[in-house]
Amino acid sequence: MRKRVSNLAESVGAVVLVHLFASSALAAPQPPTAAQLQTGQRVFAAQCGFCHGRDAMGGETGPDLTKSPLVRDEAAGDRLRAVVRDGRVDKGMPAFRLTDAELAAVVAFVRDQKVKAESPGARRSVSVADLQTGDAEAGRRYFNGAGRCAQCHSPTGDLAGLAARLQGLQLLQRMLYPSSGRAAKVAVDLPSGETVRGALAYRDEFTIALTDDAGRYRSWPAPQVKFKVENPLEAHAEQLGKYTDDDMHNVLAYLQTLR
Amino acid sequence: MTTCTTFWRTCRRCGSAAVVAAAFALGTFAAAQSGADAWTTYHGDYTGQRHSTLTQIDPANVHQITLAWAFATGQTAQIKATPILASGVVYITSPDHVWAIDARSGHQIWHYAYPANEGFHIGHRGVAVYKDSVFFTTPDAHLVALNAKDGKVKWNVVIADAKKGYWSTNAPLLVRNHLLVGVAGDFDNLPGILTSVDPETGQTQWVFYSTPPPGTPGSPSDNATGGQMWMTGTYDPQQNLVFVGTGNPTPVLNGPARAGDNRWTDSILAIDPDTGRLAWGFQATRHDTHDWDAAEVPVLVDGSFNGAPAKLVMQASRNGYFYVLDRTTGRSLLTKPFATANWATGIDQDGRPIPNPAKEPARDGRLVAPDESGGTNYRSPSFDPKMGLLLVSSHDAYGIYFFRPDHGAYGWAGADYGVFGKSALRAIDYCTGEIRWSHDLGEGASGAGVLTTESGLTFTGDTAGNVMALRTSDGATLWHSGIGRVGNSPITYLLDGRQYVLVGGGASLFAWALPETR
Repeated sequence: MRKRVSNLAESVGAVVLVHLFASSALAAPQPPTAAQLQTGQRVFAAQCGFCHGRDAMGGETGPDLTKSPLVRDEAAGDRLRAVVRDGRVDKGMPAFRLTDAELAAVVAFVRDQKVKAESPGARRSVSVADLQTGDAEAGRRYFNGAGRCAQCHSPTGDLAGLAARLQGLQLLQRMLYPSSGRAAKVAVDLPSGETVRGALAYRDEFTIALTDDAGRYRSWPAPQVKFKVENPLEAHAEQLGKYTDDDMHNVLAYLQTLR
Repeated sequence: MTTCTTFWRTCRRCGSAAVVAAAFALGTFAAAQSGADAWTTYHGDYTGQRHSTLTQIDPANVHQITLAWAFATGQTAQIKATPILASGVVYITSPDHVWAIDARSGHQIWHYAYPANEGFHIGHRGVAVYKDSVFFTTPDAHLVALNAKDGKVKWNVVIADAKKGYWSTNAPLLVRNHLLVGVAGDFDNLPGILTSVDPETGQTQWVFYSTPPPGTPGSPSDNATGGQMWMTGTYDPQQNLVFVGTGNPTPVLNGPARAGDNRWTDSILAIDPDTGRLAWGFQATRHDTHDWDAAEVPVLVDGSFNGAPAKLVMQASRNGYFYVLDRTTGRSLLTKPFATANWATGIDQDGRPIPNPAKEPARDGRLVAPDESGGTNYRSPSFDPKMGLLLVSSHDAYGIYFFRPDHGAYGWAGADYGVFGKSALRAIDYCTGEIRWSHDLGEGASGAGVLTTESGLTFTGDTAGNVMALRTSDGATLWHSGIGRVGNSPITYLLDGRQYVLVGGGASLFAWALPETR
């Protein structure tokens, strides 16, 4: 029985693959079949569920895939396939060996979960309406005072129009710790006396690396050079231990006024 | 000057009570083992200390160690298992796979692949060995007995119903003729079960429920399910008690659906291995609403506490607190945070942190430390008896937790997201709970467990993919190698007079030793 389901899924998956991964704009979108969703759910639960949640809406270490641009954007099929097959080892995601049919079924499942997540009353979702308990004026005071946010950010500068770009949970997450991007800079003093500056590319106890202005990656054994890292995200990490929940909600309310 | 001393060491060489019992249990399979040339159980012995008496590799020469061999599984899954070494053969696992490897050369002797299945392929902790059998749990919650000689299946029994949502990653714990097998299952409302199996036949001997099975009168757990015993326990042969940690309650984030303490979720339990009877329980987190399993290793130490000899069990728990209990009674002796924790208002008279109701998941979100992955997790700690230190791979992390009534009361029943975390190896003085030293391991959570040796070395891994040896007395780095993320707990053994340290990096297993002398 299992084998028959599997075969069916593979043949269905092959059809859907054309839709997902061929770049032809003529391929008409087709709704996934029940069998494909079942296969996608099975493969997802077994291989992906622990990190991304069995319902694909985020788990212990993996993000909510229903909000992933890679999954959302059908034109990104090749990139998604590469991520699954090669992993994102630097971020802790291993590579997975899925057949094209299995991958297509997983994508169909995740997209179906996205539809479900956006319907009212679904579990494991956070709506913009849930996050409206803060006091914007108190948030503005915290932003300029105890929160020290104004030391790096400006409502008329880098944060102008912020609320038009980010809403709800995404805004809250970015406010607490904006993990994307390479904000940290490093200056490395070489034994020769030369100082090399650039964006921090890698750092552990033993190695320091940067990307210089020419885009070149350079690394050194950390104990053999002197270096100074300037990482503005450290202030965000430090603030996590200082926010009350009210502070957090208030600052979010204030940021939501920056349209 | 501390008044604490430990006098019952994890002496695989000199034959402590636990080691004698282990050798007895292994019967003919390990009859030739003298102790230091074997690592026959998940923790290496029954205490869970993961402290080796070996001293060939020491702080003065560890910088010279070199790769003796490496074994690539060829799989994509990271190695999270502790290797088992018996009779010169290393057994290592990943979900659905077991390999038998020559401990001298690293070459494969046999490979067993379990048929494709729909169970949860999250990780695997390793095998148990008994006589000529190797026992392996599966993602669909079966227990398979393999012939140690060739990897052929002897029998295959169902431990729990995978269709209901159970799975297993467990390295079974062997106590005489009892093979204790744990399962997991967080996404469904399932009672927590620990099953004792006859290692000869696969027959179930008893089943212990940490939360009541359906149909139990009253509500002893306040309507909570869960409390899965997915990690390998420890054993005190003198008391004839197994100590095991239990997982979080379900529904996971919905607290109102299960108002009360939710016994025996998030607990350290003492269980009679012959009957499955509960001797005592201690709840590390009462009424948990943050997925903080107390499944971490309950480490057994015979030492002293407040100047008096004491039989202790200690745990660095996922909720960020370190506990020391009198293991004869389950009474609390010490409770102290070892990682960032902002969820408790104090400690109650029984040594349990008092949950702050304001930090329960809420509609608008609550900023909580630790995050879901915890102040520590399945990665094993190690106890150095000479130093009186528990070495714990710790994680200071914040998450945001959400719950609203329409999230329901089944499975996860809420939402939570990690915000930021960083890791450090912490040396905890077990008498005071004070952090003697802390060694940064980088941003994110390390998956590496800890091994200490009598020569004063501590082996672990950072979050970037380095395995490293630290000096146990002060945490100074003495050696490292970039081998990929370490996802298991290192082990060590002596073979042909040469000490090996085995550690998993990515999907490969690496064996380190001093250069061979000619």
